[in-house]
Amino acid sequence: MVQERRILYEHLDVPNINTFDVFRQHEGYTRFEKTIAEYQPEDIAKMVMDSGLKGRGGAGFSTGLKWSFVPRDIEPRYLCCNADESEPGTFSNRYVLEKNPHLLIEGILICCYAMGIETTYVYIRGEFTLGKKMLDAAIKEAYEQGYLGENVRDTGLNINIYTHPGAGAYICGEETGLIESLEGKRGQPRNKPPFPAVEGVFMKPTVVQNVETLCNLPFIVGNGVDWYTKMGPTYADMRNDPPTPDPNTGTKLYCISGDVNEPGVYELDLGLTCSELIEVAGGLRGEEVKAVIPGGSSAPILTHYELDTRLDFTSLTLAKSMLGSGGIIVMNETRNIVDCLLNIMKFYAHESCGQCTPCRWGTPWVRDIVQRIADGEGRQTTITRPKFGITESGRWGDTGETEEVYEDLDLLENVANNIANVDTMTWNTICVFGIAVSWPAVSYLRKFRPEFEAAIREGKLVTLPVAEATVPPEENYAYQQRIIPKEFADL
Amino acid sequence: MSDEIVQIETPFQFNEENKREFDELIGRYPVKEAAMLPTLHLAQRQEGYITPAVMKYVAELLELSVMKVKDVVTFYPMFFEEPVGKYVIRICHTLPCALRDCKVVLEHLKAKLGTDVASETNLAKGTTDDGKFTLMKVECLASCDVAPVIMVNDDLYKNLTPEKVDELLEQLPN
Repeated sequence: MVQERRILYEHLDVPNINTFDVFRQHEGYTRFEKTIAEYQPEDIAKMVMDSGLKGRGGAGFSTGLKWSFVPRDIEPRYLCCNADESEPGTFSNRYVLEKNPHLLIEGILICCYAMGIETTYVYIRGEFTLGKKMLDAAIKEAYEQGYLGENVRDTGLNINIYTHPGAGAYICGEETGLIESLEGKRGQPRNKPPFPAVEGVFMKPTVVQNVETLCNLPFIVGNGVDWYTKMGPTYADMRNDPPTPDPNTGTKLYCISGDVNEPGVYELDLGLTCSELIEVAGGLRGEEVKAVIPGGSSAPILTHYELDTRLDFTSLTLAKSMLGSGGIIVMNETRNIVDCLLNIMKFYAHESCGQCTPCRWGTPWVRDIVQRIADGEGRQTTITRPKFGITESGRWGDTGETEEVYEDLDLLENVANNIANVDTMTWNTICVFGIAVSWPAVSYLRKFRPEFEAAIREGKLVTLPVAEATVPPEENYAYQQRIIPKEFADL
Repeated sequence: MSDEIVQIETPFQFNEENKREFDELIGRYPVKEAAMLPTLHLAQRQEGYITPAVMKYVAELLELSVMKVKDVVTFYPMFFEEPVGKYVIRICHTLPCALRDCKVVLEHLKAKLGTDVASETNLAKGTTDDGKFTLMKVECLASCDVAPVIMVNDDLYKNLTPEKVDELLEQLPN
C-alpha cells in the first residue's frame, strides 16, 4: 500500500505549532535563514524552476516559469497569496492556515526574497474566520521577532504581509478575479494578456500563488532540488522533439471526501492511482465505486473503468480531466449522477460573476435543463444527429452514422459546449469558469448517458446499477482518447 | 444614489475601535479603494447589515461614489442589505455535503426554527420571528472531510446530525 509522506503536514498536529516558539523548535524559519545566508535571489528562482514545482491552485502552471515572466525593472512588485479556497471538495489550505500559519509566512518570505517583493497580500476567504485569526496572530509574532517589517534579517528588504478578507464569491479564487477583488471592486476576472505577472494588482507586476505552492518553497530550499525531484514522476513531453521532461514532482495534499471511510487530507507523492488513493482513505464506503471527481467539482468525472488513472497533472490532463486543486470526491453505487450534476450546476449558476453573456445565461440554462430532467420532465422528443465514435482509422471522430438522442440531452451538451467547448478546449468567456461549467456537464452526460436517458424515459430519477449506468470504455470519448504518459527515465 | 431617492435618517459612523482599525487598514494599500472589503466587513460587524447610511459613510471614507460601494455590496454574498438574525446559520449544500446527507440537517433546522431558507434578495424569509436566527444555504465551506457542516456566525460545526444540531442550538445564549 502507498505510504503517506508528510512534508507540508509533518508538524501539523504538534501542539501549539501555530506559535513562533514551537514552530522554531521544528526547523521553523531555518530554511529562510539558509536562503538569505547561502543564496542570491536568482539562485532561489533557479532552484524553483529546476524543482519542477507546479502551481497547486488548479491550473498546474510551472511556478518557476511564472516567476520568470515577472519584469525585474518595474517597482513595486507584489505577491498575492491565494487563500480563497472555494472549489467544492478542497480543504487542504484551511488546515495550513488554522494550524501551521508560520509555514506559509516562511514560504512567502522565501518568495519575496527571490522576487524582490516587499508587499504581500494574503487574500483569505471571508468564511475562514479562524484561519484569518491564526494567520494574523502569526504575522504579528513574525513582526515582533524581526522576520517581517523593515530590513528583515539584514537583507535590506522591507517585507510586509497583510491579510485581506474576501466576501464569499467563488470567482475571486480565479487569479485576475482575486486581483480585482483586492482592488476593492467586483471580483470579475480580467482579460489575459496582460498576465498578472506583468500587470497585476494596482497595475504592477504580481505573482499570484496558492497557499500550498508557497508552503512547498521552504522544503525545496531546505532539502535541495535533488531531494525534491525524487518524489513524484517525471514524464516525457512527447509534443517536443526530442521529448522534454515534464515534471510532476513533490507531494500533493490530496483532499478526499464523499463515499470513503476516512475522508480527509492525505499528503502523498504525486502519481498514485485513483484506486490507491481510495485505499489510503480507508477504502470505499459502499459496495462499488460509481464515479470519482478527481480535481474539485470543475474537473471532468472518471468512471470505474478509469480508476487506474494516475492522479497527477500530466496523467489527468492526458486522460481529458484535470488534477485541479486536488479535491477528490468519491461516489458509490447508490448515487444518482443526474442528481449530482444538478447539485454542481446549481453551484455554478449561483457563482457565475455575470460578466460574460455565455456564462451569465448559459449556466442557469444548463441548470434548468438538468433540473427538468431530474424532475422527470425531460423532453421525450428525439432528434437525429451524427454519431461520434471510433472511426475506421481507429481514432475518435465522426463515424458517418447517425444516432437518435433525446432533445434535452442534445440541448444540454450544446448549451454547455457553447459556454466553453470541451472538445476544442476553447471558451467563449473571459476566464476559465466557462470550462469549469461545461467540463462537468458534458463529461457526466457523455459518461453516464444511460442514467440521463432513464430519467427522461421513466419520468423520474432512476439510479441504475454501476455497470448499466456507465458508458462502456469503447464508447467513452475520454477513455478512447486518453494517453498514458511515458516516464522520462524510460525513454 | 442621492438623498432624494433613499432617505438616510440616521447617519452612520464607525465607533472608536473600528475607526482605529480602519486607520490601520487604509495604510496597507496604495489606493484607498482597495480597503473596500475590509471596511465593509468592519461596518457590517458594527451595524449588523449594510444600510444606505453605511454605504454613504464608506464612500466618503474611501473617496468614491456611493454607487461604487453599492456595486461591490451587491456582488458579494457575505454582505447583507437587510437586517439578519443575531445568529446567522450558514449551511453548506454543495456536493460533498450533499453526499453526507446535509438535506436531513437542513430539514431538521427548518422544522426546529420554524422558518424557511433565506434567499439573497429576501433575507427576511429565513429569519425567525424573534430575530434570533437567520438560516441560509451557502456554497462549499471547504470542510468536506467533516461534512455536513454549518457555520453559526464565525464558528464552524462539523459532522452534524439532527441530535447535534439540537444540542448546538440549546447552547447558544439568547
